[in-house]
Amino acid sequence: MATAEVAFPEGKPARTRVLGAWWSTAVGLAGTGIVVAAEAERTSAGREVFWNEVPGWLAYTLMSALVGLLVYGLVRHASIWMLGKPTPGILADWPNRLRNATRFGLTQDKLRRDRYAGIMHWCILSSIVMLTFVTAQVAIDDDLQLHFLTGNYYLFYSFYGDLFGLIGLVGVGMALYRRYFDNYHRIRWDERVEDHLIIWGLGVVLLSGFFVETFRILATELEQHPDWATWSFVSAGMALFFSVFEMTEPQMLFAHYWSWITHIVIAFGWLGLIVFTKLDHLLFAPVNAFFLRTDAPGRLNAIPNIEEREVFGVGQIQDFTWKQLFELDACVRCGRCTNVCPANLAGQPLSPMHLIQDLKRHLADVGPELQRVGHAGGDVRAVSPVAMVGEVIQDETLWACRTCGACVQECPVLIEHVPTIVDMRRYLVLDEARIPATAQQALENMEMRGHPWRGTAFERTTWMEGLGDVPLFDGSQEYLYWVGCSGSLVERNLPITRSVFRLLREAGASFGVLGQEETCNGDPARRLGNEYLYQILAQQLIETFKSKGVQRVITNCPHCFNTFKNEYPQFGGHFEVLHHTEFLAQAVQQRTLIPKFPIATNTVTYHDSCYLGRLNGVYDAPREILAVLPGAQMREMQRSKSAGLCCGAGGGNMWQEELGERRVNHVRTEEATTTGATGLVSNCPFCIQMFEDGIPAIQPDEESRMRAFDVAELLEQAVLGPDAAKA
Amino acid sequence: MHFVVCAKQIPDPETPPSAFRVNEQTNEVIPAQGIAPVLSQFDAIAAEAALRIKEAGSDVKITVVSMGKESAAAAIKQVLAMGADEGLLLDDDAFQGGDWNGTVKVLSAAIQKLGNVDAVFCGRQAADWDMGQTGVGIAETLGWQAAIIAKDVKVEGDKMVVQRVLPDGFQTVKLPLPSVVTVSNELGEPRYPKLAQIMQAAKKTVTKWSAADLGLDAGAVGASGAQLKLERLFIPQAGGNVIIIEGETPQEQAQNLVNALQADKVL
Ligand SMILES: Cc1cc2nc3c(=O)[nH]c(=O)nc-3n(C[C@H](O)[C@H](O)[C@H](O)COP(=O)(O)OP(=O)(O)OC[C@H]3O[C@@H](n4cnc5c(N)ncnc54)[C@H](O)[C@@H]3O)c2cc1C
Ligand code: SF4
Ligand code: SF4
Repeated sequence: MATAEVAFPEGKPARTRVLGAWWSTAVGLAGTGIVVAAEAERTSAGREVFWNEVPGWLAYTLMSALVGLLVYGLVRHASIWMLGKPTPGILADWPNRLRNATRFGLTQDKLRRDRYAGIMHWCILSSIVMLTFVTAQVAIDDDLQLHFLTGNYYLFYSFYGDLFGLIGLVGVGMALYRRYFDNYHRIRWDERVEDHLIIWGLGVVLLSGFFVETFRILATELEQHPDWATWSFVSAGMALFFSVFEMTEPQMLFAHYWSWITHIVIAFGWLGLIVFTKLDHLLFAPVNAFFLRTDAPGRLNAIPNIEEREVFGVGQIQDFTWKQLFELDACVRCGRCTNVCPANLAGQPLSPMHLIQDLKRHLADVGPELQRVGHAGGDVRAVSPVAMVGEVIQDETLWACRTCGACVQECPVLIEHVPTIVDMRRYLVLDEARIPATAQQALENMEMRGHPWRGTAFERTTWMEGLGDVPLFDGSQEYLYWVGCSGSLVERNLPITRSVFRLLREAGASFGVLGQEETCNGDPARRLGNEYLYQILAQQLIETFKSKGVQRVITNCPHCFNTFKNEYPQFGGHFEVLHHTEFLAQAVQQRTLIPKFPIATNTVTYHDSCYLGRLNGVYDAPREILAVLPGAQMREMQRSKSAGLCCGAGGGNMWQEELGERRVNHVRTEEATTTGATGLVSNCPFCIQMFEDGIPAIQPDEESRMRAFDVAELLEQAVLGPDAAKA
Repeated sequence: MHFVVCAKQIPDPETPPSAFRVNEQTNEVIPAQGIAPVLSQFDAIAAEAALRIKEAGSDVKITVVSMGKESAAAAIKQVLAMGADEGLLLDDDAFQGGDWNGTVKVLSAAIQKLGNVDAVFCGRQAADWDMGQTGVGIAETLGWQAAIIAKDVKVEGDKMVVQRVLPDGFQTVKLPLPSVVTVSNELGEPRYPKLAQIMQAAKKTVTKWSAADLGLDAGAVGASGAQLKLERLFIPQAGGNVIIIEGETPQEQAQNLVNALQADKVL
């Protein structure tokens, strides 16, 4: 069942603001048009379009060449993408897809997550769109002999032509500043000649356009029709400047002629870059947005008929789907993904941008040969001289990923790194059985013991001790309280489980637990790439749920939450799932839980776990609870909500040794300590463990150090009193 | 060549202490609820040793043999998934309740019946009873040589070259084939099977032999053939006494600790 959300759930629909930028532009222009039109006296303004005998044929020749080039480039690209596997059903849900293409292609919803880039890119794009429109009108006006560029409309046309030329130059200026003066900005992490070419090329196109106008105005309007000229406010200003030099008419004509030639040649040349450079994102980004998944972002795809396959993961480039190959070509090397990647921030061997670029280069290297051998009926698996997984992309790189989705969240061209990474992990685990030792132990433990916690001294029922009557779920209760492996088998998480339990009981919820009958739901196996084990565990548990009559589940853990909610429907398990913070926030709102005792921790900061926050959009419920805790003051971290940083444990990294300069949990804990809060609150058993480890490393002094809590622990203190947990 | 890997299924050694119970009247371990038995870890390592030789290029068939109940087929499948070729389960009520003498008789009879076996790989000890007797017992019964606690095993010509772990170092020994080797964890982690192998293993059938198949007299094996008597099975009471060593400075604390240890004759 697809969730209603398209792409990543945001806290608030911020795209309205961007739409607003477009609308205000449109309304502003329309307004100006009306002002012009309302001028009582209808002017006879107008101009001859291909004035000064400029070679109009040149424009058309170049345009034909460009169209030819574009078609050639696209066909060549497309034939390579088609090396990938088919994606059945990708056109279903097309209304949402169209919405995505508009939202991310037209309104540039992702870009504005970096405000500077958002403005810059809007300036450039709107200028290109509007000036293309301006130019098209010239062509139509002349070739179809319509001559509508006259009178008031001509003045208005002159005005917005200049306006968007100027806007474009502002954008180019901002881009140049970033590229040359912003110290080692992310856009320079993988800088190439084409990057300079694109931005300077555009600058020259815009400037030469102004020069064309300038010299035309100088020759035909500045003195003759100064009231017309002022509508072209930029060019007229420039013309005024050039009038100082008292050019002769032939000089003006000469300058105009050559500005025009330069403008036309460079403009078409620049557009030709679409075929050869990252400028192709002009076409690919909106198309990729159209093909963006429209189901839950926290869901990984299932390998269908896993028992009947020969290759399980993606070990060679042609094992990807065509959509995954297409994506590689859309990347603009902006570095946004790498900039937010927790592994990269900690100096670990993963940069999602380089991963995408390495795959892209590999595709370019082996694609044509794959095509040739494929057509000749040869063995395509023998084509690549290097191992894609292992050599092009190192094993460590794949293992360092937290599946946190931050990269996907930021990518302006909607590349989905996580499925691509997990597909390669699947190859490592299922096809090659090449796994870091500690991760292997966790997987073996799930196989043998139904949980990933090797060596635990606890039983699934240990947390119940001293809680009195703990009801077992028998189908008569409304909710199943799902404790999870971490909630019952890891020492630090037992008190959290107890807190949730006491709060559920206090709120009068009708619920039961499974106790010994809980088994791992398979999430760690799936994230670690063992889809086979995941499917076995998931199917078993779905059967258990169905046989017990489970309909609604409250989970301790965001990973269980995501799995039940987004992934079990793939196997016919449809349950209504709440994370405990959601249930507790409701209970507080309905006054079945009343926070009345002041809590001991007076300042708190809240860490959004990736699987509750970014991947499922639950940002508010935990914050609502923290807001009503008597005596607690909230201090947000710089990175929060959809921009939150992973604690480091995701993607099976809970069970791996970290390679690199720092540990991710230390990086995140450090960010938390800079808020000065005394409590670091989260909602996830993994996050809590990571912080319990990270806090002493960042704050060695035991007396003054920050403490890690689950939301439920603090709420319990406030509802049941500070000593409830000890009872 | 034909290798046999002896694999035992045991109660999970990672059973949480609170779930581990014994019946002190009958001297039996009470199986923990909901905790499935597992392959003894040393046996997975023994299989790894055999598989490494196979992978190094020798033409080897590996048969995995387990004496146990029907459930032990899972342990056999696990070794098959790692890459062993055939599985053999020795299952008979008559085998129940025996000591290592019985186990050795049953396994040896099976190895003899298989015929043409060049080497037997056992774990250094089964991780439940930890006797460490079975491997050498088989060698004794068959009149073969044995090398125990190996960290590396190779075949060179018609000899087996075994690196053994000693308390104070390593020892390399050469044995004639056929021989028995018991393998220790120093050999390294057993491999994680590829999914294709798991699927292949799932399709393989495990042969089952009973006491009659092996030509064994039911009275000579299992409880009735046992020579070892288990006197008492109990869980020891673990106790601890914590003394906090006081002191103004770390140096003083260290000194007080040394004093206390000397007073207790630990130092
Ligand atoms: C009173 C008593 C009652 C017992 N009752 C039973 C019982 O009912 N059922 C039961 O299964 N055990 C029972 N045992 C344990 C059984 O006796 C042991 O299997 C035997 O003593 C071997 O010792 P060990 O398991 O420590 O193996 P070790 O000698 O430590 O094992 C070394 C290696 O030998 C191989 N090996 C050992 N056992 C087997 C096997 N069964 N199949 C294949 N390979 C093997 C493995 O490679 C292992 O790594 C009982 C023991 C006693 C003392
Ligand atoms: S999912 Fe997270 S950890 Fe993985 S590449 Fe993306 S940002 Fe990095
Ligand atoms: S993958 Fe996306 S975010 Fe990363 S560099 Fe490429 S375009 Fe930018």
